Amino acid sequence: MKRLLPIVLAGITLLLIVLAWFQSGGVERREMRAANSPDQAVRLMLSQIQGHNFEAAYARLANRSDVDKIAFAREFQGSYGSLLTYASLENFDVAPLHSSDQDSTVRVHLHYSTAVGPLDDVRDLKVQKTGDTWKVFWPVNNATKLPPQVIPVNYLRWDVIGRGAGDEWGVQNVDTPQVRILSMNAIQRPDSVVLVGEVVNEDSVPAFVNIGATLVDAQGNEIAQESSFDKIAHTLLPKQVSPYRIDFPNMRMEKIKNVRMDAKALLVAASADPVIEVNQQKLETDPLGKKVLTGQLTNEGGQVVDIPHVIAAYYDSNGKVVWVSDGYVAQPLLPQVPVPFAVDLPPDVAKGVQSYHVVVNHYDRVSS
Amino acid sequence: METSYFSRPIPLRFILLMALAIHGPLLAMQLPLTNSYDANFHVFFASHYAHSWFNPWNPKWFAGFSQATYPPLAHQWIALLSYVFGLHMAYLVVQLVAILLVPIGVYRYARLWVSERASSYAALFSVFLGALAFLVYSAGQLPTTLSAPLYLLAIPYFYDWSRGGDARALLKGVVLTIAAGAVHHVTLIFGAPLFAVPVLWLAILDREQRSTIAVLVRGIVFGAVAAVGLGIVLLPYWISIIKHPIQQMPIPHASRSNLLLNFTFLTNYFFVPYGMLVIALPFIAIFGSANRRLRPLLLGFWVTFIFGLGGTTPIPKLLLGRAFDILTFERFTLSAAFMALPIVGLIAERLLDRSPRRAAIGFALAAIITFVLPMAWISLTPFSANADLNVDAVDAFLNRDGHDRYRYLTLGFGNALPKVSTYTSANSVDGEYNSARLLPEFTHYGTAQLTSAKYFGTAGMEALRMMLRHATHYGLKYIFIRDPYYEPLVSFAGWQKVENYDPGSITVWAREDIPPARPIPSDAMPTAVEGLLWGTLPLASSILAILFAFMIPDRARVRRESDFVLPFRAHDEEGALVQEAK
Amino acid sequence: MRLLLTVVFMFFAVLSVTASEIHVPAQVTAGSAITISTSGSGEASFYLIGPTTANKTKVQAGSNIPVDSDQLEHAGRYVAILCASDGCTAANFFVNPAEANRLSFLVHPSRIPVGSPQGISAVAIVHDSFRNLVLKPAPVTFSIMAKNEKPISAARTSENGVAWVRLTSARKEGPTRLGAAIGHADEIRVVQQVAADACNLRIKASRGKRGFLIETDPVHDCAGNSVPDGTVVSFTESDAAGKTTVDVPIKRGVAKVEMPIDGRAKITVASGVVTGNELEVAGGQ
Repeated sequence: MKRLLPIVLAGITLLLIVLAWFQSGGVERREMRAANSPDQAVRLMLSQIQGHNFEAAYARLANRSDVDKIAFAREFQGSYGSLLTYASLENFDVAPLHSSDQDSTVRVHLHYSTAVGPLDDVRDLKVQKTGDTWKVFWPVNNATKLPPQVIPVNYLRWDVIGRGAGDEWGVQNVDTPQVRILSMNAIQRPDSVVLVGEVVNEDSVPAFVNIGATLVDAQGNEIAQESSFDKIAHTLLPKQVSPYRIDFPNMRMEKIKNVRMDAKALLVAASADPVIEVNQQKLETDPLGKKVLTGQLTNEGGQVVDIPHVIAAYYDSNGKVVWVSDGYVAQPLLPQVPVPFAVDLPPDVAKGVQSYHVVVNHYDRVSS
Repeated sequence: METSYFSRPIPLRFILLMALAIHGPLLAMQLPLTNSYDANFHVFFASHYAHSWFNPWNPKWFAGFSQATYPPLAHQWIALLSYVFGLHMAYLVVQLVAILLVPIGVYRYARLWVSERASSYAALFSVFLGALAFLVYSAGQLPTTLSAPLYLLAIPYFYDWSRGGDARALLKGVVLTIAAGAVHHVTLIFGAPLFAVPVLWLAILDREQRSTIAVLVRGIVFGAVAAVGLGIVLLPYWISIIKHPIQQMPIPHASRSNLLLNFTFLTNYFFVPYGMLVIALPFIAIFGSANRRLRPLLLGFWVTFIFGLGGTTPIPKLLLGRAFDILTFERFTLSAAFMALPIVGLIAERLLDRSPRRAAIGFALAAIITFVLPMAWISLTPFSANADLNVDAVDAFLNRDGHDRYRYLTLGFGNALPKVSTYTSANSVDGEYNSARLLPEFTHYGTAQLTSAKYFGTAGMEALRMMLRHATHYGLKYIFIRDPYYEPLVSFAGWQKVENYDPGSITVWAREDIPPARPIPSDAMPTAVEGLLWGTLPLASSILAILFAFMIPDRARVRRESDFVLPFRAHDEEGALVQEAK
Repeated sequence: MRLLLTVVFMFFAVLSVTASEIHVPAQVTAGSAITISTSGSGEASFYLIGPTTANKTKVQAGSNIPVDSDQLEHAGRYVAILCASDGCTAANFFVNPAEANRLSFLVHPSRIPVGSPQGISAVAIVHDSFRNLVLKPAPVTFSIMAKNEKPISAARTSENGVAWVRLTSARKEGPTRLGAAIGHADEIRVVQQVAADACNLRIKASRGKRGFLIETDPVHDCAGNSVPDGTVVSFTESDAAGKTTVDVPIKRGVAKVEMPIDGRAKITVASGVVTGNELEVAGGQ
C-alpha cells in the first residue's frame, strides 16, 4: 500500500490532467499548429493574431514579400486612434468556400470586442499549400496615400462663457439652444417597440442633444423610459438635422397609450470641422444576403477622424422616417481618403424604403 | 534529554514572534491595502458596519444591495476596531491576528497527525507559506485567511469529540466552527468536508476499543450541531440566498481555467502559492503513504490539491456542478498547503535527524524562497489591482455641490472602486461583490465589475452599454474614467467631459439631462429583525469562542506515543530515499 | 426657531404683566431712523424683532429709545418689546419699502431670430435701495438701443412690483441693448438678433479638381441678413454611382463642397427644413 498509493495518486492526477487537456481543446491546438489543412492554417494565423503574436501570424502568410509586416499588424490593431485601437479579436469562425489540392478559399468571420460594442468583419481569404503546410494569401492593401500638402481650414468653432457662480440673480445667462423634434414614428418590431425620427437644431449656436422617451399606458402609468443613447448625433451645428432611434426591448405596441418625447439641448463648445462627405450611397444586398446601405466616407478636413459613426434615416414614399440604423467604422478617416461603410436594415423595412439620409458622427481622442 | 536545537520542538511563542517579525512590517507598510485585489473591498464592507451596524442594506453599490449576502464577522471586527484605530489600521490589525492564528491552528492540526516536534516545524513553515502570503498581500482575502485558521483550531476538537465523546470539545469545536463560518462561509462550506473527512477517518483509526459507528455518529452530530448553529447565526444570509439564489451568468475567472494552457495563470495559481512545496510533492506522497495514520491526510491533501488546480482537471467541475462557476479556487490551494504541512513537518524532522545543519539550511532557504516568490510576483505579475490609486479628487468631487444626489460610475479604476465608495456619500451602480448583484444589467451578462468591463470582452462592454442606456432610470450622471478605452462609448452615449484630475489621468464626464437618483425598490432588503440578528449573533459567536478558549481548559489528549512514531523504513533504505531527493 | 421661541416667550411675558408702556410710530419707511418713546422707570431691556433680525439693548424705562436706520432696512412687521422690573410691554409696527431705486431685469431669450413677433420678453422687478420689493406702482422706463439707431423708450407702471414689455425682434440682425430704468437704477441686457432661416437658397456648380464645385450664393434670410457662419447646409447629389450627401457649415457667408460626379447628376440643397434650388449637371462634359 505504501508503495502503491503514491503511484496511484500520481497516475490518477496525470490522467485527470490529460483528460482536462483534451476537454480544453489541447488536441485541436496541437493539430492546428501543424496547419495541415486550409482551415487549420487560417485558424492558426487568427489564433496568433488573437494572442497579439503578430510576428508569428505574419510568418504564416504565403505572400510575405508583398505584405508589409507593420501594415499587416495595423489591420488588426488599428491606427490613428481608430476603433480597432480600442478593439480585440474576441473570436472567429472559419468556413471553407471552395478547395482544391493546392489552393482554397476560406471565409472568416472576425468578431471583435470594441469600446463601443461588438464589431464583425467578414473576409474571404485565399489559402495556398506550400510543401506540407498551408499558408494564407493575405490581400494586399493598396490604400491610396495622400501626398504631402497643406489643406487650408477656416477654423470655425464656438466657445461658451456662462454665468459665473458669484453673479447676482437676474444677470442674463446664455440661453440653451432651441431644438425641435421634426418627426417621430413608433414601429413594432418582433421583440421591441422602436421610436424613430429626426431632430433639428433650430438655433444659431451648436446644441448637445439627447432625446428621451417615456411610454405611458392607458391608466397613465409610465411603463418604460429609454433614451436615444448612441443612435443620434449628439452635437448638432446650427440647422443640422440628426436621425434618432429609441429602442424599447420586450415591449408591445398594444400596451402603449401615449409617448412622451423630451428633447434636451445644452449649449456646448463645438467645432464646425471636419466636414465628412458621404459618397456613393446605395441600398444593396451584401454577400451574406443582408440588406445594407453602403457608401464611402471622405474626410474633407485636414485632421484625422478617429472613430466615425454612421447614422442613417430611411424614408418611405411619403417622406416618413421608417427606420434608423447605425454603425461604427473600424478605419480612421484620413484627410481625403475614402473609407467604405455599410449599415444594415431589416429586410421587411428595406422593401418600403424610398430614400435615406446619412449623418456622420465622430469621436476624436484629441478633441474630446 | 535532547539538548540540540534541531532535536527539540520549536516553542510556539518563538514561531509567533517569527510571524510577527515577518508579517508585522509588511502589514505596517499597508501592503494589502496598496497592492491586493480585495483588501479595499473588505474595508468598504467594514465601513458600512461602522456607520450602520444593524442595517445590512448598503445603498452605495448596485443601486443598493444586502451585505447579509457575505458573512460579516471579519468586517464587524474591523468596524469595531476602526473606532479606535481607523478603518485601515483596523483592517491590518485583524489581518495580523489572522496571520498569528495560522501557526497556532497549523500546530494544533498537525498534532493530530504527527509528533510535537514535527508539528512545530509545520507551524513554523506556515509562517512562510506562499499561499498565505499570496492571499494576504496579493489577493487581500482577509476572511479566507481568518476563517481557515479558526477552522484549523476547531478540527482537533472535532477529533476529540468524535473519538472520545468529550463534551467540552464538542462545545468549543462547534463555537469555533460557527465563528469560522461567520467569517467566511465559502471557506467553511467547501473546506470543511475536505478537512473533516480525513480527521474523522483518523478518529476511527485511533478509536481503540470504541465502536466505529459511535465515532461516525459523533462526527455527524458535530456536523449537525455546527450546521444548526451556522443556520441560526447566519440566518439572514440563508434567507437572502434562498430568496435570491445566484443565477447570474457565470463570470470568467482565471483560477477556473486549465492552468497548463496559460503560463501566467499557472504561475499565479500554482507556482506562487505552493512555492517550494511543489518540489516536496513527491515526498509528501511517499511519506504520507508510508504510515497508516497519515494516509487519510494524504488523500485529503490530494483531493484538495486537485480542487486547487481549478479547471486543470475535470474533477472540481464534476463534483461542484453549478458552484464551479461561482467559486474561485485559490482558497483550496491554501487548504491543500495546510494539509501538506504536517507531512512536510515530518519530513523536516526526519531530515534534521539525519543531517541537522544541511537540512536546516535547506529548509530555511526553501521557506524563504516560498515566501519571497509571492512578494516578488506582486511586482512581476501582469495583473494589476490598481489598489494604490489616489482617488481623493474623485471623492472630493462627489462630496461637493450636491453631486451625491446622483449615482456615479468609475471606469478603469480596477480594485480602487471600493476606495472611492468608502469615502463618498454618493452611490454607484457598480460594485465589486458579484454575488450580491441583482440588477439585470449585471446578471444577464457574464461580466464582473463595470469598472473593468473591457477585460470581459463583448459581455463586459454589452453590460456597460446596457447600464449607460438606463442611466436616466438609475440617476447615473457622473462617470469617472481612468482608462481612455471607455471614452468613445461614453462620448457617443451622450456624456460630456467636465473636469480632469491628476494631469488628465482621471476625467469626469457628466450628462446634464439625468434626473437625481431615486431609491430602486428591492425585495432583497433585509428586515429590521434580520438586521438585529446580523448585528449581534456573528460577533457573539466570536466573543463566545474567545471566552471558551480562555475559560474552558482542554482535556489532555490521550494518545499513545506510538501513534507518532512512524514505523518507517530502515535507515539504509531512507538513505536511498534522500538520495533520490537530490 | 429661536426667533419664534423668543416671540412666544415675550408674548406670554407681555400678557402676564403690563405696567410700562411703549409707543411706536404706526408706519415707518425702510432705512429711516425712528425714536420709540416709553413710560415707566428703572432699568429695562428693549427687544426689537424684525423679519430678519432680533436685537436686545439695555435702556432706561421712561426714556426715548432711538432705533438706527440700519436696524429698519427690511420691510415687514416689527415687534418692539420693553421689559422692565414691573413686566413687559410690546407694540407692533410696520416698515414699508422705501422709494423704488433698484431693478432686477430679466430678458429672455438671449438670442432670437429677426422678425419674431412678441419674441422678446423683458421683465423688471422693482426694489428699493435695500432690496425690498416695492409693491406700490412705480414707473419703469424700458428702452431699446439697436446698433446705429436711435434709442426707443416706453414707460410702464409696475404692478405688484413687476413691470414688463414684450417686444418684436428687429428685421436687422445684430445685438440689441435693452434697458430698464427706475430711480438711480439703469440695467442693460443684450439680446442677440440673428438671421432667421435661409431664404431663397441657391446653388451653382463649376468644375473643380476632383469633380464639381458646388457653391451656394451668399446665404441670407428673407430680410436680407446673412445667415451666421457655422449654419449647416446639406448638399445631396444623385448620380449613377449612388447618392452623395454632405453637411457643410457656412463659412464667410457661403457653403461650398467639391463632389465627384459620375454621368448625369441631380444636386439639391437644404438648410434645416428649408430647401433650395435643384441643379442638373453632367460629369465628364
